[in-house]
Amino acid sequence: MKSLFHTFPRTPLLVALLVVLPAITARAQDPRIQLTHLDHLATRASETVDLNFDERLILAAAKIFNDKDEDEAQIKKLITGLKGVYVKSFEFENDGQYTAADVEAIRAQLRGPGWTRLVNVTSKKEGTVEVYLLMNGDQIGGLAVLAAEDRELTVVNIVGPVDLERLAKLEGQFGVPDLGIEAPKTKKNDDK
Amino acid sequence: MSRHHFKQVAVVLLIFSFASVVQARGDDFNSVVKMIEQFYGVKHEGVPFLARAGMKAGRTAARIKGGTARQIAEAGSIKLAVFEDQDFNGEFLKFRSTLNAALSETWLPFVQVLGANEQNYIFTRENNDKYNVLFISIEEREATVIQVTLSPKNFARLLKDPEGTGKAIAEEATINDQE
Repeated sequence: MKSLFHTFPRTPLLVALLVVLPAITARAQDPRIQLTHLDHLATRASETVDLNFDERLILAAAKIFNDKDEDEAQIKKLITGLKGVYVKSFEFENDGQYTAADVEAIRAQLRGPGWTRLVNVTSKKEGTVEVYLLMNGDQIGGLAVLAAEDRELTVVNIVGPVDLERLAKLEGQFGVPDLGIEAPKTKKNDDK
Repeated sequence: MSRHHFKQVAVVLLIFSFASVVQARGDDFNSVVKMIEQFYGVKHEGVPFLARAGMKAGRTAARIKGGTARQIAEAGSIKLAVFEDQDFNGEFLKFRSTLNAALSETWLPFVQVLGANEQNYIFTRENNDKYNVLFISIEEREATVIQVTLSPKNFARLLKDPEGTGKAIAEEATINDQE
């Protein structure tokens, strides 16, 4: 092995790149946003909500929701095919409890390959609401909503084929907060 | 080892492995209660004591025996531990990560709500054709741990409205007959 590295000094680097690059790419295209870096905000928040509606719960819901019940049938249709719905939300008593770096760490993940910010989505809520879609080819692989107000920070991450119309219908269900997302628009902006 | 002995050993191993699985699943409620006791240096009160004292869990004692007043939880499925008039001072983030680590193998964390003086956790798991739900509520001076089994219909209610159904189950488990 030593002689191999001696003969081809770039081999270790090449090997490392071959190992690491696919992992980085896979992570960058992961529709699940990592939010653990926000956990420290819980000590400053007046309320922190973590909702994990993962694939096993979605499958259970799809199995037990009654098709004859209009409400349950509609929810079943909405969640079919989804791999997870995750919500992390913080409410604060005062302004300035979270930093730009906290939010930027989320945006950095959403700048990865495949993610596109929908710039013309609006919300009835105050503050900024950013909506991102993850495209796998022509298929939607996930969606993320980042809602930042002076005293509230909310991240909604839906894994699986979801569009804005579906998101709007999911608002208020399963603990997904009502973000007041307005009608979907198709125009996209790639330079975030 | 003869074939006969091998069969005997296999049967014994099978029985023990089944027993340990049942024990592991069944023990999570007690583990959580002990975890709270150790983390916060508190002691829970048994349901019979509470029932005698006419405190919160009065009706629960009857329900555990399969009382008729149940609405949501399956008959006889409620496990309850109550901590009253004790201090729950400690790093709640540390407690949450300890709790999540302890339950992550067999339970799914569904909803976790942390407030300035309150922590609420709902964990779920499938149990054959029914669902186990574990509620943990910790406030400044009291805490409650409730485990119930729900029918698919009532589990659907919980999924649709975790807050409302969670409160209803907690009330059902801890309501005081004398109130």
